[in-house]
Amino acid sequence: MDASQYAELFLTESREHLSVINQWLLELERGTGAAEPVSAIFRSVHTVKGMSATMGYTAVAELTHELETLLDRVRRGELAIGPELMDLLFRSADLLEVAIERAVGGRGSRDGSEVSTPELLQRLRAFGVAPAAAPRQPPPGGSANDDWSAPAPVGSGVLVRVRLLPETPLKGVRAFMIVQAARRLGDVSVVSPPISALQADQFESDFALRLATTVSADEIERVVRGAGDVDLVRVGEDSARTPADGADWAASRPAPDSAAEAPASRVIAEPAMADLALLAQQTGEFPIPAATGEYRVPAIGSPAEGGAVAVAPLATTVQPQRHVRIDLRRLDALMNLIGELVITRGRLMQIAAGVDDPALGESVTQASRLIGDLRDEIMTSRMVPVWQVFDRFPRLVRDASRALGKRIEFTIEGKDIELDRSMLDEIGDPIVHLLRNAIDHGIERPEARVAVGKPAAGKLLLSAARDRSAVMVRVTDDGRGVDRERVLAKARATGLVDPAKTELTDDELLKLIARPGFSTAEQVSALSGRGVGIDAVYTRVRALGGAVDIRSISGQGTTVTVRLPLTLAIVRALLARAADEVYAIPLTHVSETVELQPALLRTLRGREVLVLREDVLPVLRLRDLVGLPPRTRARDARPEQVVIVELAERRAGVVVDELAGQQEIVVKQYDGVKQGLTLFGGATILGDGSPALILDVSSLQ
Amino acid sequence: MSQTVLVCDDAIFMRTMVGDILAQAGFEVVGEAETGVQAVEKYKQLRPDLVTMDIVMPDMGGIDAVREICKLDPQAKILMCSAMGQQALVVEAIQAGAKDFVVKPFQPSRVLEAVQRVLG
Repeated sequence: MDASQYAELFLTESREHLSVINQWLLELERGTGAAEPVSAIFRSVHTVKGMSATMGYTAVAELTHELETLLDRVRRGELAIGPELMDLLFRSADLLEVAIERAVGGRGSRDGSEVSTPELLQRLRAFGVAPAAAPRQPPPGGSANDDWSAPAPVGSGVLVRVRLLPETPLKGVRAFMIVQAARRLGDVSVVSPPISALQADQFESDFALRLATTVSADEIERVVRGAGDVDLVRVGEDSARTPADGADWAASRPAPDSAAEAPASRVIAEPAMADLALLAQQTGEFPIPAATGEYRVPAIGSPAEGGAVAVAPLATTVQPQRHVRIDLRRLDALMNLIGELVITRGRLMQIAAGVDDPALGESVTQASRLIGDLRDEIMTSRMVPVWQVFDRFPRLVRDASRALGKRIEFTIEGKDIELDRSMLDEIGDPIVHLLRNAIDHGIERPEARVAVGKPAAGKLLLSAARDRSAVMVRVTDDGRGVDRERVLAKARATGLVDPAKTELTDDELLKLIARPGFSTAEQVSALSGRGVGIDAVYTRVRALGGAVDIRSISGQGTTVTVRLPLTLAIVRALLARAADEVYAIPLTHVSETVELQPALLRTLRGREVLVLREDVLPVLRLRDLVGLPPRTRARDARPEQVVIVELAERRAGVVVDELAGQQEIVVKQYDGVKQGLTLFGGATILGDGSPALILDVSSLQ
Repeated sequence: MSQTVLVCDDAIFMRTMVGDILAQAGFEVVGEAETGVQAVEKYKQLRPDLVTMDIVMPDMGGIDAVREICKLDPQAKILMCSAMGQQALVVEAIQAGAKDFVVKPFQPSRVLEAVQRVLG
């Protein structure tokens, strides 16, 4: 069947299960061999298996099948949990993720691009003893051959021979059901091969039974066929042919040895394998899944049935939540619309204020309040809990700490705090940076910790908390703290601070380490220390309209706090004019505006600079940036304005013709101008309906 | 009036797919359940003409749910949805009162054949 329409659903749900699998694996590794994690992992693996088989994603189906078999053996106590098994399970989870993404990503044809993992499958099968039951081939000959393979059972009653259809699934069960159906007609005295062999699938397509009944042959045939998957039925004694020797059926026709005769796993494309291995090795670049394009929002007053319920996060009780799935684009569209409505509201209120009409004023006020409520509802509907991203981190921390020989107790708090979906997608990478920094540079090796009287295992805490209209994400470690001496020494050496300076406050420290390329790491490790640590976080968070704060105490640890606005889509902006054109500059990046007095301008090394109090800032002219001719002085006596923008430690003055007020604007991404014009971060529609481009401050050099 | 179905599976994906197959064949999916406990509850509320039941579900597995439902209504028409390698479980489900089974991956024609047998 055409399953492609379900691919997105498959992907979303599989990712949730992967997340569950990884969490329980961590639990299993920590735990005391409790059965619960194994069962939970088994269930998730099983579900993914069923879904992938249905989608025709054979690589995923095979992998999950073997994994399931292995887990079942663990569950039944045949295998003990140890480091080797854990490694195998973790590796399987990684490759399962790759296989799932690949299967759905549809690179190349479904068959060609699918990767399997012969080596891993082999290990899964070979772990301990391998009793994997492989599906047996249908018997040669097929149903045209009337040569019954089952011997006629000796006994009383009429002989009923049945041949199942060649592709009958679970034919043992089907045979069992047919026997059950026959029993409703009378006494079944013997079955050949015996019921136990039938149920164990130890027969080909034929079986026979003897039925003591008074109903007609036609009726027997009808009932037997009614049980399903029946190819041939013959009621009555064999005429010419005698059954093979009458010997014990199972003995004369031993079931083929499954391990030896099972068809080899599907042919694997070797180049794809290499890719896969590569991907799997890049634990340092553990991918955060892209937006799935779909997520759940609480439905308001929707009927209970048919609601999709989110996979409950680890160990929470399953509560029937009322959810509907909504395409993310719908929510984006809603957000855009409400944004425009908010802007129009502003304009409407302006107009109403200028018209002396109490009735109009009242209606506008009422509409305004409703629009405000609507905006809040829509913004709320875009919120998703941070665990959707945070749930990946325990695994990342485990892998990173193992790679570095550290022992870490990792805790996550505030999983249920919600953020706008688009914000959450952006914040994953910066948090990964912070966690890696803490593991790599913050937390000491166990022996070093013990030497200074700390517990051998370091503590790492990731927390999210709501603070008015912002969300605070904190990464706290109890490691050695930022080495201020080294930071200061490096800052002195590079001329960033006064050589006489001997102390650094936390703020000064942040300003220094947030500088692009500032790294004091002695060695560049695979994880961090390439000079793209805190500065990358700082820049990214600022670009999202947030702020970073760092507190570090030598020998006791470091806390980095990232403060984020709840949403990206609606921002306050300063409107600035150049000739007839209006541009928007997000207020988060504007520190102040000043009137441009000629005395403020200097030329330094051939570049125009602005001297503002004791700072010297580079000057950019909006007209130059957007390719407009310079202003002719005579026509307009009013002085130009300078917007002082700042991003991280960079500040600049942007000269504009005039300021046109502040507005809440709705950021719309657009495609048309993307090539070449990186100057703009998006576009917006102003209250009067005219479009305006949004200056991306981070792109200004 | 079209016949009603209760679809029980812990995967939304599976529920959607089974639901679509049956809806296209003219059934009305009146409810979904993702645990065995929910399946029993919803059966009580909805009394559907047909139930599709996954075997592995959290809380209460599909087989126990079949037992519970058949206690409530010996005439319940339950179709088991199983995966490869679950012979023993399917047999157990049939003994518990399920009327037939289909094996994942589902082919719509097989599902509908099985449904006809269950209802027939």
